Amino acid sequence: MQRLNIIREEKDGYLENSSNPEPQLTVEKLTLGFGGIEALKEVGFEVNQGEIFSIIGPNGAGKTCIFNCLSGLYTPQKGSIFFEGVFLLPLSPNKRASLGLARTFQNIELFKNMSVLDNILLGRHQFLKSGVFSGGIFLGRVLKEEIANRLKAEEIIDFLEIESIRKKIVGELSYGLQKRVELGRALAMEPRLLLLDEPTAGMNLEETEDIVRFVLDVNEEFGTTIVLIEHDLRVIMDISTRIICIDFGVKIAGGFPEEIQSHPKVIEAYLGEKI
Amino acid sequence: MEKQTIPKLLRASALKFGSKVALREKDFGIWQDITWEQYYNSTKYFGLGLSALGLREKDKVSILSENNPEWLYADIGTQAVGGIVVGIYPTNVETQVEYILSHSQSRFVVVGDQEQTDKVLEVKDKLPDLKRIIIIDMKGLRKYDNTLIISFEEVSNLGRQEDKEDPVLFDKLVDRTDSEDTALMVYTSGTTGKPKGAMISHRNAISSARNFLESTPLREDDVIVSYLPLCHIAERSFSVLYPLMTGGITVNFAESLNTVQDNIREIAPTVFFAVPRIWEKMHSGHIMRMRDATRFKRLIDNWCFKKEKSLYERNRSGKSAGLYCKLMKFLTYVLHAYPLQRHFGLNKAQTVYTGGAPTPPEVVIFFHSLGIKIRNLYGSTECTGICSVHQGNDIRVDTVGELSPGVELKIADDGELIFKTEGVFQGYYRDPEATAEAVKDGWYYSGDVGALTEEGHLKITDRKKDIIITSGGKNISPQEIENEFKSSPYVRDAVVIGDGRKYLAALILIEYDNVGKWAEDQRISYTTFKDLSQKPEVYEMVSRITEDVNKRFARVETIKKFTVLDKELDQDDDELTATQKVRRTIIEEKYKDTIAKMYKSG
Repeated sequence: MQRLNIIREEKDGYLENSSNPEPQLTVEKLTLGFGGIEALKEVGFEVNQGEIFSIIGPNGAGKTCIFNCLSGLYTPQKGSIFFEGVFLLPLSPNKRASLGLARTFQNIELFKNMSVLDNILLGRHQFLKSGVFSGGIFLGRVLKEEIANRLKAEEIIDFLEIESIRKKIVGELSYGLQKRVELGRALAMEPRLLLLDEPTAGMNLEETEDIVRFVLDVNEEFGTTIVLIEHDLRVIMDISTRIICIDFGVKIAGGFPEEIQSHPKVIEAYLGEKI
Repeated sequence: MEKQTIPKLLRASALKFGSKVALREKDFGIWQDITWEQYYNSTKYFGLGLSALGLREKDKVSILSENNPEWLYADIGTQAVGGIVVGIYPTNVETQVEYILSHSQSRFVVVGDQEQTDKVLEVKDKLPDLKRIIIIDMKGLRKYDNTLIISFEEVSNLGRQEDKEDPVLFDKLVDRTDSEDTALMVYTSGTTGKPKGAMISHRNAISSARNFLESTPLREDDVIVSYLPLCHIAERSFSVLYPLMTGGITVNFAESLNTVQDNIREIAPTVFFAVPRIWEKMHSGHIMRMRDATRFKRLIDNWCFKKEKSLYERNRSGKSAGLYCKLMKFLTYVLHAYPLQRHFGLNKAQTVYTGGAPTPPEVVIFFHSLGIKIRNLYGSTECTGICSVHQGNDIRVDTVGELSPGVELKIADDGELIFKTEGVFQGYYRDPEATAEAVKDGWYYSGDVGALTEEGHLKITDRKKDIIITSGGKNISPQEIENEFKSSPYVRDAVVIGDGRKYLAALILIEYDNVGKWAEDQRISYTTFKDLSQKPEVYEMVSRITEDVNKRFARVETIKKFTVLDKELDQDDDELTATQKVRRTIIEEKYKDTIAKMYKSG
């Protein structure tokens, strides 16, 4: 009951935000090159609050490059990125994370020798205020902080239905479960915008259905905006609000799922021939 | 006592025990206590909420959820305001859910989560009586735009308001409940045909619980883990009725289905009830683990178990234990029995039961040797639970114990057991024919064949309709033979066939995990269940098991031919009941050709 209330309050908070007509994320003329190769050429798009926004495209099209620019792993040569009105480019990755931008990786990037719970708690890092010394004494404020963070981690464990593996070492888990834990760690940051890089890659049908359900639940329960890179077109067409398609670093199409599905350039990029 | 009802019992318990812990639920990784008073209040609010939503007397309310405290609130809350509760297995598929909802004419259904809600929404157009779907966990459901949907919390809030306006309303409603009213309906999974809704009154439920508690008393500080489906009469009795009757038993709810084993270990219940399938799994789990263990550990395990078993048998035969025996007992206890008890989470379990189906004797002996004294229960939904149980220290592997006080037994000429107790149910809902067949003059015809032993223990042979009469005219109980098969960790189920035939044959279903592990050890590569089950090596292994089983029976009772099934049996395909019992007739029909083959090449 208590949890429902928490979620509700949070959601109401987001709903107020969503009355804001400004897009939450604005990307303009993003250009990125490595030596002679141009990975991204003047890519631009806008993501609105509460959307599930998908980026599709063939292998090596530059989708993950966009994510890396957004989260701060790459610095683009040209272009600008605004997140809720803040100019992101000069900010370090951890600064961006504390603004409410979280991501998962295409190849799982968890701490393999730590437990599930510890991995998720690690996502709470930015909310920890106590220093080394007060942490060593572990009284008062620190204790309270620890309890509050554990509660949040437990809420996420409950949300993702991973109670049974709470204390398991991440490296021992199946691929599908690791992906779920990674999503959990991203959620621990209480992001307002979540970047998911191929969350269903390498999963069987059942695991795919599970993770898609969780993505939808996150979007609905917490009102989190989701930007998704995905290869499974059925999944994309099913759940996305809007989609853009990238090919060879260039945005070739953008719009609602129905438009993208019948867009000649998208079909060409996917089938690899002119029609 | 005579006018007692379940809601009245809860009210009395709340008054008596107040702030004592009644239920415990693991939430966010911490065990949360729920006192008797909170239990009663939550029940009250939900019940009043239901009547505010327009529940009329004798309306049916179905509950389709995993076990949780809300299940109990909904259960007793409904009864308190005059409704009748119908439990549905959370593992049931849409069509089965639809059948029970429409046959019971349910006006409300309480569902656990999104998965269960989807099942109901799928079939809601075919359910004209259904008025509201009440959802316990709203996760992922907020966007569902359906006027039928309301959350459990909202219903409770409605009830809270009602209670504020008229604080004595609920008391009045509880006073109005009568012991002769139908309290609940249990749809029996039945190994044949459609499920039938057994109507059980408050009097049935309470007197049956009293009979049971007289035969094996529970203590006030006992601890139980509620993990088997609550719609089954056995778990309902342990989680709802017995705590209400004894007062003060703490019922614990597991965190989720996947954590049951861990939760049992954490709680270490003092009272534990499990169906044979769970005992079999624990037993085969131990065997498989030992196979992977180091030589030293295997040596210890073998030696200790041999000692424990011989000590157990010595004790059974009534010989007194000398100093050497006591020393051995202590040694094996420290080395072997206690660590294993801890592993199973049964180190504090004083009263342990098995029931629902016969348990393979080898498995029972295993646990007895470890000092976990499993008692057999025998009962049926139609008798509202227990008819007989092992009482005191008189536990025998091959019987189901003595009759509970208050249970009368007649044995028909053909061996069928006929019972008369206060617990004999009111009849099947909307099925007078089936009722007339099952109950005659207050006697319930169980359909089981059995006899009383000299010591006054009841011994069950088999289901009447399952008994095989071979073409040679020999009566054979397939159950006994099947159980011998099931005590092997590699066999999950066996179906013995041979009615009207020259000899017996069997369909064998292998235990996928264990046979898979075995195959890996033997360096046999396989891809799927189908592939694995049809390997010649697996066939050979099963034939060795069959030879082993055959040694234990007379010549006419031996299995001459068998087939390893290439598909797992599934509840969704109607091959298993919700309680995981094999539906013999359906299987015999489905594997007609396979069976014919076994007899053709004779």
